[in-house]
Amino acid sequence: MSFTASLRDVTLKYKDTDALADVNLELEAGKIYGLLGRNGAGKTSLLSLLAAFRKPTSGEILIGGEPVWENAAVVSRVALIREGGDFDDADTVKAAIDTGQIRPGFDTEYALKLAERFELPLKKKVRELSRGKRSALAAVCGLAARAELTMFDEVHLGMDAPTRDAFYKELLAEYMDRPHTVILSTHLIDEVANYLEEVIIVDRGRILRHEELEVFQGMGATLTGPAAAVDAVAAGLEVLAEQQLGGTKAATVAALDPGARERAAASGLEIGPVGLQDLFIHLTEPTRKGA
Amino acid sequence: MPALQHLTLPNRRFALGAGFAVEAVKYFKYWILAAVAIAFLGPLALSQYRDIDLSTWYYTANIAKWFTSFVAGGFLFTLVPNMIAAGMTRRELSVAMGVFGLLWSAALGALVFAGILAERAYYGAMGWSQGIDAQGTISAIGTWGETAAFAAVYPLMYLAYFAAGAVIGAAAYRWENSGWLLLVPILPVVFSLDNAVYDTEPFGPAWAGVLGRFMEDWGRGVVLTGVVIVAAGLAVATRQILLDIPLRSKKA
Repeated sequence: MSFTASLRDVTLKYKDTDALADVNLELEAGKIYGLLGRNGAGKTSLLSLLAAFRKPTSGEILIGGEPVWENAAVVSRVALIREGGDFDDADTVKAAIDTGQIRPGFDTEYALKLAERFELPLKKKVRELSRGKRSALAAVCGLAARAELTMFDEVHLGMDAPTRDAFYKELLAEYMDRPHTVILSTHLIDEVANYLEEVIIVDRGRILRHEELEVFQGMGATLTGPAAAVDAVAAGLEVLAEQQLGGTKAATVAALDPGARERAAASGLEIGPVGLQDLFIHLTEPTRKGA
Repeated sequence: MPALQHLTLPNRRFALGAGFAVEAVKYFKYWILAAVAIAFLGPLALSQYRDIDLSTWYYTANIAKWFTSFVAGGFLFTLVPNMIAAGMTRRELSVAMGVFGLLWSAALGALVFAGILAERAYYGAMGWSQGIDAQGTISAIGTWGETAAFAAVYPLMYLAYFAAGAVIGAAAYRWENSGWLLLVPILPVVFSLDNAVYDTEPFGPAWAGVLGRFMEDWGRGVVLTGVVIVAAGLAVATRQILLDIPLRSKKA
């Protein structure tokens, strides 16, 4: 079983500032979601509400069809892993893992196996861990929680590339083994894009877009080929990003109408999907209105 | 916490409360052993230089009150983010803290009760007088019965100090910069009642016993009832602060 999540007219204020305003969001069970947004856009606030870390100022939040707030049967099966984890720094790594057993579904054996894979020193104090190891510990606890809704909020920070890769692979393996709902909040967009089924973009406290990954990728195109041909086809189109190596150029454009697509094909250009990161930058550009 | 391995959702609040108490005792076991050793060996060392007419356990027991407050406040301050992030509700945490407070106060109270009675036998064997500093004069605690009655109040006092520490710990987490200021109204109430129970010189900051002047004519029963009411009130206040406490944002 995995959890659906619903936010209905949810607002969260910090004093007089709206962290989230009138948010409506429906997440189906058993999918991997990417939650994207610029710094301060409201990603962490959104996740905090889903995990009942905070109470909304107004609105309703349902997880698995039930209110999440103070609902032990639900929150015990929802895991939000924040950057660096929420540990008692005076605990040993082993004790921090054992604390996860507060959740009836926590799999200690799996946690210890992961700890070995991520080379976590079980006897060391949490406060003595490097940032990367601490992040790995947080990831281990999140995976071993065996929750029905698991959320990782920038949990990769401090991890080196091999550790991040191992984490993503383990996340995917766990997901395939036991389908559940996963939300990944990250700034390393292209790194996780291949794992995502749907993407939610939060901007200035509101849901800017919530679509399947393919829909985002179809919102633009990447044209690759001889620089002159790329420039000719891209002229008049909104260019999101450009890269050139020697005489070969790649241009990401926001939209490719059928006419431009025909011209690109006729020029022998390769037409690929738009990079999620380029599109994200474009959609959340501060000067852009009504995106 | 070994007890965690067999937790079920309905019982975990109680099991965790007991687990916190066990962990706290384990964590501070050397401090507690040191305090017990000093309480018995201190007078022996002092007896080489002067007559012994004051109960060392009385001082140990009083220090344990402040220690209890720090344990309650410190644990709760740490447990709020850890336990909620681990999938507990705030109500469950408040129940667990209640169980922790009861067990801790009972255990420490029992230790002090036994210590004071053992000290009476010890002082008796050594020919010393087991007294307390009461309003500037040293008076003996009394017979075995009076000594037992004197010591029997400590579990309740620890519960009151535990509740005071818990409410300040919860407030300090919730209101990051100002929560600890709850100390200002709470300390004089608890401390004044404490002094009224024993009618002694204040053991701690004298200014905090300012309300004692209004309790001079209260009988022991009234004072103890006051302690019970204050402990219950502080426990309810802690729960109220916890019930919708938000987890702080992580700092970069």
